[in-house]
Amino acid sequence: MEMLVCIKQVPDDSVEISLDLGTKEPALIGVTPVVNAFDTYALEMAARLKETFGGEITVVSVGNDEVKNSLKNCLAVGADHAYLVKHEKSESLDPCGIANILKKAVHDIEGELETKFDLILCGKESTDYASSQVGLLLASKLRLPVATNIIKVEPMDGIMRIKQETEEGYRSIEAKTPCVVTVQKPDYDPRYPTIKSKMAARKKEIKELSPSEEVSSMLEVIRVFEPAKRVAGIKLKADNEQEVVAQAMSVMTAAKVF
Amino acid sequence: MARLIVHQERIPDHQELINICPFGALEEQDGKVVVNAACKMCRLCIKKGPEGAMEYVEDVKKPEINKDEWKGVAVYADHVDGTIHPVTFELIGKAKEMAAVTGQEVYVLFMGNEIRDKSEEILHYGADKVFVYDKEELARFKIEPYTAVFEDFIKKVKPSSILVGATTVGRQLAPRVAARMKTGLTADCTILEMNENSDLSQIRPAFGGNIMAHIKTPNHRPQIATVRYKIMNAPARAESKSGVIVDCDMDQEMLSSHVDVIDILPKAKETFIENSDVLVVAGRGVKKEEDINMLRELADLLGGQVACTRPMAESGWMDAKYQIGLSGRTVRPKLIITCGVSGAIQFVAGMNHSDTIFAINNDPKAPIFKSAHYCLVGDFYDILPKLIAKIKEKEGV
Ligand SMILES: Cc1cc2nc3c(=O)[nH]c(=O)nc-3n(C[C@H](O)[C@H](O)[C@H](O)COP(=O)(O)OP(=O)(O)OC[C@H]3O[C@@H](n4cnc5c(N)ncnc54)[C@H](O)[C@@H]3O)c2cc1C
Ligand code: SF4
Repeated sequence: MEMLVCIKQVPDDSVEISLDLGTKEPALIGVTPVVNAFDTYALEMAARLKETFGGEITVVSVGNDEVKNSLKNCLAVGADHAYLVKHEKSESLDPCGIANILKKAVHDIEGELETKFDLILCGKESTDYASSQVGLLLASKLRLPVATNIIKVEPMDGIMRIKQETEEGYRSIEAKTPCVVTVQKPDYDPRYPTIKSKMAARKKEIKELSPSEEVSSMLEVIRVFEPAKRVAGIKLKADNEQEVVAQAMSVMTAAKVF
Repeated sequence: MARLIVHQERIPDHQELINICPFGALEEQDGKVVVNAACKMCRLCIKKGPEGAMEYVEDVKKPEINKDEWKGVAVYADHVDGTIHPVTFELIGKAKEMAAVTGQEVYVLFMGNEIRDKSEEILHYGADKVFVYDKEELARFKIEPYTAVFEDFIKKVKPSSILVGATTVGRQLAPRVAARMKTGLTADCTILEMNENSDLSQIRPAFGGNIMAHIKTPNHRPQIATVRYKIMNAPARAESKSGVIVDCDMDQEMLSSHVDVIDILPKAKETFIENSDVLVVAGRGVKKEEDINMLRELADLLGGQVACTRPMAESGWMDAKYQIGLSGRTVRPKLIITCGVSGAIQFVAGMNHSDTIFAINNDPKAPIFKSAHYCLVGDFYDILPKLIAKIKEKEGV
């Protein structure tokens, strides 16, 4: 089974990002770039599929040279080929612009590797802007079936059997191959690279692609700002617990929960 | 963006032209000279190259769309088997506010199977027109036919803005529709403001909620936004009905699908935390799994449920569906009691619209106290048992 995983590099999501009051931009200097968490789940899912069903995994990302590091990390945890679509200002593109670039990349890579992807995996969203659209838009542009928020996928002759998480429960769905899926956190964690796999990844080449000629954004970010702060709440003193509990009781009565 | 056009017929010697570029941005491919990504637009090749071989073109701005052709605010009616998701009514309420700015109408798009009767309910919330597509093929949500119906609706009605609930269905449908209509979509908006020129200001959190981004769709219509449940206010249900139902039909052929729903496996029946009036939240201050029982006892007494922060969901002590926050659920209960929750911005983003926030934390500097209405600095292991006893006493249990 031939698989493509679309990767976005994002600022480390365990760091609280605040607004740089000087530049009025998110303060990202010093924050380590990492592979978007949901993309790591997608890659892990692909790696497990490869172990069972064979085939190869290609990863692709849109961005500048810095992204190569993230792609190297992907090569160390299961990817066989890595492509970077060079774009100096990928962060200024809206999801539709990114999907346009990826669409061309899919065709370019398929041409270069002389293959056809059976499955294209994306994370269900990114941890920075979280627009959760790229996978859906890419499928739409490639005219492929798509399933979102999936936690399991299994190929069966000519179709993919997919388990999708919804608010109400799970849906079992079948999609014709090839198809696109967006991956929710499954009940396993992504693997770590070993020293050996890291060494091997370092030797592999990251191939570059050029973006499609016309990418225009339909959305415009007018400005970014900090959310409003709330006025301080009422402090209840804790030195006398009976008193505190009595106050808590009156709060609950006021909130009409009794 | 500007770009270069290469006029192949005007290049006597390929290599000579290629050598001009100091950045190696010109190369030969299949007997043609092409410009690659390394081009810095220095335009040296135009000046020094053969006459007319390289041409520099500024992209002409696309003709502005005629915004006057697009009128009104439409809401997608989210439902499961005809039971309308309450986010729909919240969005109708918001749509009415928005439409009032421009003096336009509010539309609702309702598609499904055997839903005609159910559409009457929407008329209690003040929509001007409810467009109903009642078709067998629409019995279960399938992305392709649903997108096709949406497209049909947009082409017929031409709404200027469209609001879609950020439910599982809405999250799949809205981007597909946006792609089909070649327009922009802003997901998970928390603030929507209509401008008099019908441009919609769409405001949404980024980077885990520390930063808000203000987004516009200046040159495209319709403007599509998704909004999570419990972000907007629920409007009151009017006793009387208003507005009209418009029955719609469309080409049957557009309703085929390449994805089939084989089976729907419901999770165990339960009330979702979004629907609870009272929530008791377990944070990492809870030291052992069985300690959650104490919180559960309090929640039971108050007729509510226990919810949790992300570390608690990740530890496996509680199911992910009880997680509040940016990567969990957005809740808006009457009362929320947080126990041992630090109040990280990603958590607060999911609950700061609650009517009454009551925080218990033993660290007086915990950020949760910035969001809470009532701040209790103390150990909840001491406080909860006393509180529980007091409530039992009051209730006479
Ligand atoms: C992209 C992203 C998305 C995220 N999404 C979410 C999300 O949706 N939901 C979410 O919750 N988190 C989310 N997080 C994680 C979030 O940043 C915090 O790490 C998390 O909310 C902290 O959970 P906590 O308050 O339970 O734990 P902690 O931060 O560890 O806080 C525990 C608190 O309990 C107090 N405490 C300890 N013992 C007691 C006691 N006996 N009595 C009283 N107080 C006590 C401590 O003083 C401390 O303040 C996200 C993070 C990222 C980067
Ligand atoms: S503009 Fe400069 S970089 Fe671009 S092709 Fe011409 S010479 Fe090369």
